[in-house]
Amino acid sequence: MDADARCFRVALVAGELLNAAEGRVDAMAVLQAEEWGAIQLPAAEYPDEVAGPLLEQVAEQVEEFARHGYTLAVVGGRPGLDEALARVGVAAPPAFDPDTADELVAFLKETCR
Amino acid sequence: MPGVAFVAHCLLNQNSKTHGGARCPGIYSPLVEELRDAGWRLEQMPCPELAFTGLHRFWAVKEQLDTSAYRRHCRRIAAAVAGAIEVHVRRGDDVIIVGIEGSPSMGVHITSSDPDRGGRPEWPDGAGELSPGSGIFMEEIVAELTERGIEAPRAMGISHQLPGHDPEAERAALRDLMEAS
Repeated sequence: MDADARCFRVALVAGELLNAAEGRVDAMAVLQAEEWGAIQLPAAEYPDEVAGPLLEQVAEQVEEFARHGYTLAVVGGRPGLDEALARVGVAAPPAFDPDTADELVAFLKETCR
Repeated sequence: MPGVAFVAHCLLNQNSKTHGGARCPGIYSPLVEELRDAGWRLEQMPCPELAFTGLHRFWAVKEQLDTSAYRRHCRRIAAAVAGAIEVHVRRGDDVIIVGIEGSPSMGVHITSSDPDRGGRPEWPDGAGELSPGSGIFMEEIVAELTERGIEAPRAMGISHQLPGHDPEAERAALRDLMEAS
């Protein structure tokens, strides 16, 4: 088996930032360059009955990363995320809603310190 | 017209792989770039194995995971994903699914199988486990969509963990999948 290349850093990212909506930061490009993995948060367009079960899954996965000491950050966020994380016993990670790619880079670097 | 690609979790987060399986630090860029360059929206599916058997799980074959409890877990995730797929299908978006060939959970056309595997994990790496068929989550998402009256989307699996992986052939297969509507 090959050497494992994982980065041990996971960003929870608003769907609108991962898919680079017009005028928003292209978080995918920044995360690739900065070598972070991503967990996508449900986009705001999804109604609560669709977003809720997806957020539940996000929380369960984040709990596993938190349990193993991975660095976590929230980019953009999503209503209901903090509550979903609390239900699995995970404190809300550092969060930031960037206006520019440079701001996002600085936030990610700061989170890793 | 570009559509919506529901992709395996690890395509955007290689940290979810079994130890030894992460091919890059975070985002598996070759196929992500292919989808983004074509204007497709990405929707990440949860990793069924990550929350069930954890980050320190062993590499497993389908028979080891195919319990009623794991099926229920996969169906719960499938219901969540199908809800999002349904939103897009109902409004006329083209939808595709990108899984992981060779995976006991996310395989689309190739899964892994060894009915005798168990006990202390000391089998040779890559020992003859690949077999035609879908993984457990893929079976459950198709079942969930069928119950909702939604035709299963076109699907393929990325092949980066298969012997003889050909990156260019993989990208070409993805382009064909996107254009097949």
